[in-house]
Amino acid sequence: MIKLRAPVFITRHVLFALAAGSLGGILFMFFLLEFDQLTSSNEFCTSCHSMTYADENYKASAHYNSPSGVRASCGDCHVSEGVIMATYDHAVGAKDLLKQLFGPDYDDPVINRLHLPEAAFAARDWFRARDSATCKRCHRLEAIQGTRANTAAIHQEETDGKTCVDCHYNLVHRKVPDRQTFKRDAWNAMVEQEFGLEPGTAAALLAE
Amino acid sequence: MYCNTPRAHWLYLCWASVVLLMLSAQGAANAAKVTLDAANWGHPDGEGCVSCHDKASPGLAQQWHQSAHKRAKVNCMDCHQADAAEPDAIEHEGRIIATIVSPKDCGRCHETEYQEQAGSVHAEAYALIADRVPALAHNLTGIEMQAAGCDQCHGSEVKVRGDGTLDPATWPNSGIGRINPDGSKGSCSSCHGRHLFSKAQAREPDACVRCHSGPDSPDKAIFEASKHGMLYAAQRDAMNLDSDSWIAGQDYTAAPTCVTCHMGAAGKIPATHDVGLRNAWSLNTPVSQRQYLVVLEDGSKLELPDTDKPPRRGSEITKADGSVGKVKLVATPERRRKIMGLVCLECHSKGFTQGFMTQFDNVVELYNAKFGVPAEAIMAGLYEQGLLTPLPFDEPLEFTYWELWHDEGARARHGASMASPNHAWWEGMYLVGRNFYSRFLPEARALAGSRAGELVDSRLADGKHHAWLRNPRQPSPILGYAPPEPELAPKPEPEPEPASVVEPEAVAE
Repeated sequence: MIKLRAPVFITRHVLFALAAGSLGGILFMFFLLEFDQLTSSNEFCTSCHSMTYADENYKASAHYNSPSGVRASCGDCHVSEGVIMATYDHAVGAKDLLKQLFGPDYDDPVINRLHLPEAAFAARDWFRARDSATCKRCHRLEAIQGTRANTAAIHQEETDGKTCVDCHYNLVHRKVPDRQTFKRDAWNAMVEQEFGLEPGTAAALLAE
Repeated sequence: MYCNTPRAHWLYLCWASVVLLMLSAQGAANAAKVTLDAANWGHPDGEGCVSCHDKASPGLAQQWHQSAHKRAKVNCMDCHQADAAEPDAIEHEGRIIATIVSPKDCGRCHETEYQEQAGSVHAEAYALIADRVPALAHNLTGIEMQAAGCDQCHGSEVKVRGDGTLDPATWPNSGIGRINPDGSKGSCSSCHGRHLFSKAQAREPDACVRCHSGPDSPDKAIFEASKHGMLYAAQRDAMNLDSDSWIAGQDYTAAPTCVTCHMGAAGKIPATHDVGLRNAWSLNTPVSQRQYLVVLEDGSKLELPDTDKPPRRGSEITKADGSVGKVKLVATPERRRKIMGLVCLECHSKGFTQGFMTQFDNVVELYNAKFGVPAEAIMAGLYEQGLLTPLPFDEPLEFTYWELWHDEGARARHGASMASPNHAWWEGMYLVGRNFYSRFLPEARALAGSRAGELVDSRLADGKHHAWLRNPRQPSPILGYAPPEPELAPKPEPEPEPASVVEPEAVAE
């Protein structure tokens, strides 16, 4: 018969520390799950005024108003699945908070729109780096039927080497050109026109 | 032999005409041979486009599959590829492309056609009316009508928005004078339906009808009502529209189409994509003028009335857009008419051709002298005296005048130019006359009030055209009334009344 006998370094204090650590670890994991959940919610994201501009277009998009009633939240698309990657995304995302606090005044709608393209480029890079993983939470390539005759065939036959966001961008938020064809001058002129600003104002604001 | 003009510049003009003919001779009998090496097309990414667009937009893909472009291995990317720096460049499925294929893009291969159409009245169709559109479309209706109306034919100035999209106020558009984001003017697809780009389709009169219709230039209707149109309809099968070479008198003789006379090859006359080249007259102006065609060093062109001296070669001249160009050569209206006349000779005798041209010129000169010139002078007087406000279309007389020359007057002149009796007369000059005497003059006299004699009637006192009004007692049976004969002889016995045999009941009915 095998006699179970704890090694000598397992003292009562060690056992107590292990138990407390385990409990703390479990509680920490619960905390992270809850934290990720909370910080992925639309309410949390739009608690910064600067994010309400993104919210406007989102609320007009099919990802908010789908006929089936499925509604993708900010986090559903912009935060990875799984507690480790979700936490990682939130940690990296903390830089947005720092920029909000110490960077340009993103709450100003003009500043916000002037900086939007770079935000869009970064978001597209993020999707691409993850092979559009968050899209695939809901969308299955092999199940896409579409409403037009050949949508299914296109998704079966024409998608080798492509990830969702390669073709499907400018779906939810305000339209921004691809980085390769983006023209800062034209974007600035558009913003100036939309806000009734003098030509050259946008460049001056960006230089501040 | 054609240059027997007494003008001081006749030698120069002769020379210029020869050069012009030589220049347009590059156009050859049909579409000019593409001289670019085939290594310049067949873009490797093109197959990917086709594979997906066969499914995503089978209609346009199928048209391309049937096209000469496909047979020549020209694919989507060859026309739609763009440099990222171009204003309208977009990223699409990993490629940098542009939606709009401009004449400049087509000109990469079709260089001759690109150069011919550049500066033509077609390519300048937007610029020619740009300063008139606000007065009519914007004030009278609203800016929305510019995209749906004016710009559909004249072309839009395509705007690329800051987010890379094409402004829907200016696109889609395939108007023939479109200002493209790359700066080129025109739209090949205005006549050459994409994506089949069929020769036969572009040679059909229907290629022109989308725009050459309506009150001011119902040219399709005029053509159809003419002997040319009658023969075309009956003998369309013999038109050889699909032929590579399409020289009138050689490859087909059944009938002419719009293309035949205005751009087609005929005998030794080469084809040209400068559609206004052979037009001696301006027909869509308040008063018609014979016009020089001035070709500038930069390839652009403009038209000047032949009442002015022809500009000298090498002299500087201000273009419609305000920029300055150097004169390369000048074609006189006589020379332009001569080229048009040479087309006729493929089927008609010289006497017949000259006779027809005389009949046409007579109509234009009649319109000018009897209606166009006096009406223009009357309007100018009323504006100068402050009896009309400078703002167009805020007074009924301005509509009356507009319709007189722009609708009815243009229709009459077009009708005469292409031999439709109905358009020359009933829908043309008859309406001009009716308008002039029953609306324009009475309205102008009412505005002029006590100064009508000075501002209106003095313009009609040429003694010839309006003299008939001075003889109001002259009878004619046309309206069924003749004044009683003066009683010189005793009245004859009245005939027995036929009404007396009719039953009173029947009369009551």
